[in-house]
Amino acid sequence: MIDAMDRAAGLSPDDPVYKARRFRPEFVEGAEICRLSVLTPKDGLGLSAPLRLALARRMAKLNADEVLVSDYETQLAALSPSDELVSLSQGATKLAEPLATIARHADLITLSPIKAAAGDITRLQEVGLDNPQIVALSELIAFVNFQTRVATGLRLMGLA
Amino acid sequence: MISTVKLKPLHWHPHIAPVELSEATPEQLDAMKVTPSAKKVSEYVRTLVHDPESYIARTVLFNAIMYLEGGLDRPARELGALGASLVNGCTFCAVTHARRHAELTKNDAVVTALYLNKPEELGARDAAIYAFARRLSVTPSQATPDDIAALRAVGMDNAEIIDLIHAISIFGWANRLMHVLGHADSEN
Repeated sequence: MIDAMDRAAGLSPDDPVYKARRFRPEFVEGAEICRLSVLTPKDGLGLSAPLRLALARRMAKLNADEVLVSDYETQLAALSPSDELVSLSQGATKLAEPLATIARHADLITLSPIKAAAGDITRLQEVGLDNPQIVALSELIAFVNFQTRVATGLRLMGLA
Repeated sequence: MISTVKLKPLHWHPHIAPVELSEATPEQLDAMKVTPSAKKVSEYVRTLVHDPESYIARTVLFNAIMYLEGGLDRPARELGALGASLVNGCTFCAVTHARRHAELTKNDAVVTALYLNKPEELGARDAAIYAFARRLSVTPSQATPDDIAALRAVGMDNAEIIDLIHAISIFGWANRLMHVLGHADSEN
């Protein structure tokens, strides 16, 4: 069965990379469970599904992953997001709080995690995020950066 | 030897308050697989279990990627983890996985070369793995089909390359937790 990672990487069942990926069913299943845990968790902890998808689309763009950009855009549109979230998803920086600080954080941690400092967590706290939301946001940011790398690597295998 | 100086184990300290076991929800306790009477659960676990669902999902995937038998040898997975951690600036992960690489290979020549920033001293296979790890870890990725060709040229098959992609990528995840939600130092 084709899953989200196959779609992101452009793999079909007759592809040797699709078959090789099934050598590790634990990775296939595990990545899908992770995807659901950060995008549509049972308990969103106050971070809405449209916000999560908007951030994912924004971070896919920073990773220059046009397939995932398009996929997240479609998923976001299906939830009738607010104009503000659409702007966030497209990379806007002039946003109301707490979205501006959340978007700034997603950009920083996606582009240059090496620059992260304690003050970046303080900023999130100052715009009202509680500890579960800070962890949930961190996991979402980290997941999208995982997903784009796996997808990129799998795509490259088909090109080499 | 610089590696013995630099590669002492570090301790990680969260920027936010971890979940106290006495206040943990049933979901959090289940995720940590502990009973309320358990005394010692690491600050790292108690910090991330603020979001128990993603904690469980990621931990299961992480363990599969780094520890499942077969496929890519474990030192190569550790080298991928190390390359990602150095790019992403996660000192804690870098030291932890450099140490593990040295333990698994019973040799610290590779991690010493990397900490001295002399990747040209690596053998062909390690060099191909390390270069790919670094290039895939940058945002946006700088990896190209030539990187995959280099891995194949040193004998890696598709299954091994997929293992390596996952080892690098899961550290694109782990680094963005450890280096963002806390800091590492030598203080216990």
